Amino acid sequence: MSSNNADLKRRQRFDRVVSVLHKDLYRYAAWLCRDPGIAEEVVQEALLRAWKSLDALREDSAAKSWLLTIVRRENARYFERKRLETVDIDSLTPSQSAMLAETEDPNLADMREALYRLDDDYREPLVLQVLMGHSTKEIAELMGIKAGAVLTRLHRARIKLKEEVAKEAAA
Amino acid sequence: MNVSGKIMNCEDYRVAIAADPSESFEGGAAHVAACESCNAYRAEMRVLDEVIGKALAIDVPELKIPDLPPIGEDDENVVNLPFRRASKISTPAWIGIAAGFALAAIIGVQFAGNGPANDQLLAAEVLAHVDHEPWALTVTDVSVSEEQFSNVVNSTIGTMDRNVGLVSYATSCIINGMTIPHLVIQGEHGPVTLLLMPNEMVSSPVSLSGESVNGVILPHGNGSIAIIGQREERIQELEQRVVEAVEWSI
Repeated sequence: MSSNNADLKRRQRFDRVVSVLHKDLYRYAAWLCRDPGIAEEVVQEALLRAWKSLDALREDSAAKSWLLTIVRRENARYFERKRLETVDIDSLTPSQSAMLAETEDPNLADMREALYRLDDDYREPLVLQVLMGHSTKEIAELMGIKAGAVLTRLHRARIKLKEEVAKEAAA
Repeated sequence: MNVSGKIMNCEDYRVAIAADPSESFEGGAAHVAACESCNAYRAEMRVLDEVIGKALAIDVPELKIPDLPPIGEDDENVVNLPFRRASKISTPAWIGIAAGFALAAIIGVQFAGNGPANDQLLAAEVLAHVDHEPWALTVTDVSVSEEQFSNVVNSTIGTMDRNVGLVSYATSCIINGMTIPHLVIQGEHGPVTLLLMPNEMVSSPVSLSGESVNGVILPHGNGSIAIIGQREERIQELEQRVVEAVEWSI
């Protein structure tokens, strides 16, 4: 196979994987950093890294976990570089506000705000389970924690969200 | 019944269903079939989960793929090592020589490479580390004990099939603040260092090339493996064997 042909096949493989998983990557990044603008930057960096190490991905069926891991690391690197402070929900940037204001459904808006306020440790496994369809074992592997810890966090996350939403409804 | 064989009570069930509303855990269906109250709780959790799913599904902007650099042998991830040790020195004199080379190797990496900064820094860290344990690089036919090996390549790190080669040195070392296995196997042309780094990801293979040594840092799962041997050592032939032999726990 000529070098050009190999390059073309590599690029086609990359485009195929990325086009299928792009929404998941963006949403995961957005809920990790809670800022759509930063999420776009993180995803761009992650795609660049994925391109350079595409040969390490042996099977496309493993692409989702592989790419989510890269996004997770890029997000950590981004915050390490920028040393951003914790986001205060009462002083959001326009980009952050837009993320919360996307829906007109008050129930969804309340839930989105509750998710936004949720501790990172609780929000991440929830995103991986509900949005990405990951199993407890897969979440544990990705986050580098034990399966029991994942279940505890998921349980606490839902109880917390339930309470927050009930509080909003009562107010 | 749950995994332990006990009948699930209401409290256990509610904790489990809040962690996993799809009810993939054992014993849940049996409990809920006999408990109206938990049945209602499950329905409540599933409604909650539906709202969570919708709330998480934020709008996604149009896909923008960044400018992708060409991939080739001469790409940016090659680290050149202008100064490295001579092969087959395993006497105490080697310790002093290595100390002298250590700084040169680090400087060489920092200025010769132009690849991603993180990969370059890791390469520098790896080489500095290898230079600080020169006594590990001895030609021998004596392998470390099974106990020593399993203390180093332990369950928190992963597993390594020892058939990859005669392991003559195994110790736990610190790279970038993480404890990792530092192993030496006997290659065709002398000792070959393996650093198993489950938490250090490189964007693509980082070649380490010098006058007397050659090596590579390979991406492997969520981590990477450094393989460094003598100049004549055919590292490429080792790469696949080593990668296939190592499996991370995390």
